[in-house]
Amino acid sequence: MSARAAALSRGAGIAALRRAVSKVAVGYAFVVPALALYVFFVIYPFISSIYYSLTSWDGAQPVKVFVGLANYRRLLSDPLVGQSLLHNLIWVIMGTISPIVIGLLLGVLLWTGARGMVAFRTIYFLPVVLSEVVIAIIWNWIYHPLFGAANELLRFIGLGNLARGWLGDPNWALPALIIAAIWSYYGFCFVVIMAGLQNVSVELVEAATIDGANPWQRFIYVIVPELRHVLTMITAFTLIGGFNVFGIVFVMTQGGPGTATQVIATYTYRKAFQESEVGYGAALSMVMTVLSLIASYVFIRLRERGE
Amino acid sequence: MAANVKTRRFVRKYSWRFWAGKTFQYGVLVIFALLCIIPLFWVISTALKTTKEVAANPLGPPIAFHWENFPEAWIVGRFGKYFRNSVFVSIPIVIGSVGLSSLAGYGLARFNLPGSQAIFYGFLLGLMVPFQSIMIPLFYILKDIGFIGTYWAMIVPSIALGLPFGIFFMRAFFLGLPHDLADAAKIDGCNDFDVFWRVMLPLAGPGISSLTVFQFMGAWNSFLLPLIYMQKEELRPLVLGLMFFRSRYTQNYPLTMAGATIVMVPIIVIYVLFQRRFIQGLTAGAIKG
Repeated sequence: MSARAAALSRGAGIAALRRAVSKVAVGYAFVVPALALYVFFVIYPFISSIYYSLTSWDGAQPVKVFVGLANYRRLLSDPLVGQSLLHNLIWVIMGTISPIVIGLLLGVLLWTGARGMVAFRTIYFLPVVLSEVVIAIIWNWIYHPLFGAANELLRFIGLGNLARGWLGDPNWALPALIIAAIWSYYGFCFVVIMAGLQNVSVELVEAATIDGANPWQRFIYVIVPELRHVLTMITAFTLIGGFNVFGIVFVMTQGGPGTATQVIATYTYRKAFQESEVGYGAALSMVMTVLSLIASYVFIRLRERGE
Repeated sequence: MAANVKTRRFVRKYSWRFWAGKTFQYGVLVIFALLCIIPLFWVISTALKTTKEVAANPLGPPIAFHWENFPEAWIVGRFGKYFRNSVFVSIPIVIGSVGLSSLAGYGLARFNLPGSQAIFYGFLLGLMVPFQSIMIPLFYILKDIGFIGTYWAMIVPSIALGLPFGIFFMRAFFLGLPHDLADAAKIDGCNDFDVFWRVMLPLAGPGISSLTVFQFMGAWNSFLLPLIYMQKEELRPLVLGLMFFRSRYTQNYPLTMAGATIVMVPIIVIYVLFQRRFIQGLTAGAIKG
């Protein structure tokens, strides 16, 4: 290419080519610092993760012994993996539907002409900016067996016999954690849904009203379809968050009592960093990777179909 | 005609259904607002009580304000030290990730680079996989290059992990800016970097400030990353310090809550001050996403 260009018109050709090359070089100069950092600290460890998951490394040996798919076979027969994934599944179902429904409810109520939009938005979003550790401290306090707000409330409405140490009860610990997570998250769903509602045309809803649609029908047949982009986005986002949930569980219960709240992320952490089963931990982390990629893929496909 | 509309409005306004609807509407909105606020009120009110009062009057406001819990937590819990640590790591993380994202976002948006699509998708992969996908090998990489035991162990990976969203966000922002200005500046003799620095970057101000607030919140609240890479006590950021403090003083609720207040107040102040920017950034990312 360069030889032909040069042969065609000597001076001008070379100058144009130089300009094009230097333009590309300048462009890369903008991208390369970020790319280098990203490749070294994200892509390289990502590929290493796949490799680690094929070894029996314990984090200390000088050589990593390659064991093929042994870690993945072990995954399939490890009852704790199944249990953790079940907990994640419960988390994903409850923890995705509830905050989105709450966010949708609050969004539509504000959208249909309530005052104080900014004040409500500010308040709903407050829990979202808190650290998981602060959320855990707040909810440990609410669930306190002796004087926690949950038990006080039950006593107040005459259901004192239901009072219990919520986080110490194997049947209730997981739902209790999920409620804390929903509390910290519905404000996020609300804000995103509210932004989506700004793009819903008021005329469309009015037209439906004139055609005799009641509020519920308007909601289901007009508003929700108009919000489908925002709802798929937030569902995908929340699903991924639910598969990878770590902080709240780790701080509030450490996966306990027993293994009643163990999720895949806390189990991975335990294996990789507390029990030095680095190879097996890496295989566990691949489970989270694959689940997240599937959720992203489904989201992208839905998105493309919608457009 | 006008009178007709007026009567209709009048009837609508004073029908019981209208009022029932309004009561339901505001009732639900207020209940969920109280749900958000009351727990935060408990944090602060408990921080102002004595240990005895917490057991006797757990949910009500404090009888007397025991402000001394805050200096005690600050000193006993070493929150002063952890606060400094959080500031020391958050500032370079924000500068690094916003700076590099702006550069790369501009490069990907404004130059027709061969392979720019592939590079962009490579960065997008980082939005799809969780931190857990890389956390294990990254620990050993950081150890090998001598970062473990220094602030760098948190700063550098956090910058790298902030890039996918940052680049995605800034690229979209630069794509939306008009081309003519850059061309005009070029004719006036600016080189490509001058165009970026003097023309495009100031125009991207709103995007940059959104991203800054966003990345700051992420850095300040980051938990799993420092839990693994910042195990040394002197390096702990505030959030991690709070976690260890809580496990040591399980029964001392006033001190724990004083610690929680110290962690949450700065982030709430920043959120309230910059909330318009923050929510703009969030929703722009979410809706364009």
